Amino acid sequence: MIAFPPPPAAPHAGAPAVSAALTETKVRVNSDFRGDRIVLYGAVFDPLSRPSDVVVIVRGPDQPVRIARKSRVAGVWVNSRPVVFQGAPGFYIAASTRPLDDIARFGVLRRLEAGVDHLAINAPDEQRTETRYGVRDVVVSRLGADYLDWRNAVVRLKEADHLYDVDEHGVRFVDKGLFRAEIALPAEAPIGRYEARILLFQNGQPVSEKDRSLTVEKVGVERGLYLWAHRRPWSYGLASMAFALAAGWAASSAFRRD
Amino acid sequence: MDLYLPIAEVSVNAPLLVALGALVGFISGMFGIGGGFLMTPVLVFLGIPPAVAVASMSNHVAASSMSSVISYSRKRSVDFRMGGVLAGGGVVGAVVGVEIFRWLRLLGQADLVVALSYLVFLGIIGGLMFWESVGAILRRRRNAPAPPPRERRPPWLYGLPLKMRFPRSRLYISVIPPVALGAFVGVLSAIMGVGGGFVLVPAMVYVLRMPAGVVVGTSLFQIIITTALTGVLQAGRNQTVDILLATLLLAGGVIGAQLGARASARFRAEELRALLALIVLCVGLRMGLGLFFTPKEAFVLMSGSGG
Repeated sequence: MIAFPPPPAAPHAGAPAVSAALTETKVRVNSDFRGDRIVLYGAVFDPLSRPSDVVVIVRGPDQPVRIARKSRVAGVWVNSRPVVFQGAPGFYIAASTRPLDDIARFGVLRRLEAGVDHLAINAPDEQRTETRYGVRDVVVSRLGADYLDWRNAVVRLKEADHLYDVDEHGVRFVDKGLFRAEIALPAEAPIGRYEARILLFQNGQPVSEKDRSLTVEKVGVERGLYLWAHRRPWSYGLASMAFALAAGWAASSAFRRD
Repeated sequence: MDLYLPIAEVSVNAPLLVALGALVGFISGMFGIGGGFLMTPVLVFLGIPPAVAVASMSNHVAASSMSSVISYSRKRSVDFRMGGVLAGGGVVGAVVGVEIFRWLRLLGQADLVVALSYLVFLGIIGGLMFWESVGAILRRRRNAPAPPPRERRPPWLYGLPLKMRFPRSRLYISVIPPVALGAFVGVLSAIMGVGGGFVLVPAMVYVLRMPAGVVVGTSLFQIIITTALTGVLQAGRNQTVDILLATLLLAGGVIGAQLGARASARFRAEELRALLALIVLCVGLRMGLGLFFTPKEAFVLMSGSGG
């Protein structure tokens, strides 16, 4: 072998590696956009053919989440003060060859933010530090013991909108060392840059990873209208209202001739 | 046939929205109301973000009101002067209402206030109107004479300063009640995402004592001015007007409004009022009673990150 200066943490000969590619790197959102399916192909290179698991994590641009809890006050269901959770991706899916809990231990999954339960979502505004039992700077949340309920609710509501998902068998080996994953993108998926991380696990540890990116962007008329509405909102507002009034007038004239 | 909306960022069924616009336009032309109180809840139910639904609805209401107000003005049943005075109050009310609504959203209580407003205002107005119009229908059936009008001219309406002549309505009253009424409707329209016709029409009949013939046309004229302003403000400040959504709705709406304005001539005024009262009551109860049922999901995601 020719000796190249190894890049940091480069796999040495015989080390397992993963490689992957998305079949499309741009999702075009136009007027007939109804969601999309993104197909990812990849290969596992392992001279020793050790048992391998592949996890594919796709996350969309981060969007803070405001969430409130309903409680009964004088017979009426009322929202609590909203709580803002930071660090929540606008879209998140973890697809794997087996259930994540079978692939790796809790600590590993937590560090990689693999699986909706391990997403680093928190509500910093609700936190403060205080001294407890003589220990300084202990982080406590004003949500108290209910904190997990709140966090689970964020995930549950996002899952109901098909924006968060865990697909325990979403990655399939189609041939020896060759795998395929399909990611369903709903029409409500946010616009922006998505990151796909492909992880190869062996013996409960991530041994190789690849990052791929994907952009979801508006094109054509949709993009033109969106840019107009955001860059020149007043002319957009005046034009759309003028159009509305003209349409009303036109309908009235059309009916008069009958 | 599904269509992706550029501002709402959701995919919707286009023919369904055109049909919905036509239905609401029909009701709008028939009763002289904007129809927002029907449209806004339905759009939210279809999955359109509430902020976009409220804002885009104002374009639809302006268009269908425009479509029918022209028919009414040909019949000389629009009091432009009264409409202008009402709209003057409405403009102030709308600006105040938008600020109140922003503050409520910040507190996370917008849903509650919207639902309560629907229950209280639609419930009271629908109930009163239904009671009054059914009474009128029954009297006519029995050929009973109409009850003697209670004191036809309430003194407080005439005792106030700043009097103005409204020849089309045959009124010579102070401008304070119509301006106050317009302002109140403006606040409601910003908070509830409605044109406010369902408050205006009965108030013009029972409070301002305007002749029934000019009430509907005048209400529509006022609604055009207020919603046109609201629509432009929403687009300019919040970028929440979806022109594609508005176009789908108003394509049906302007035609529905024409048919509605024609159909209204075939019914008696009290029958129309009874029907409108029923619709108003149903929507109010549907929106408001949800507050009393135990929700299936205790948590709710709020739209918009910053409030």
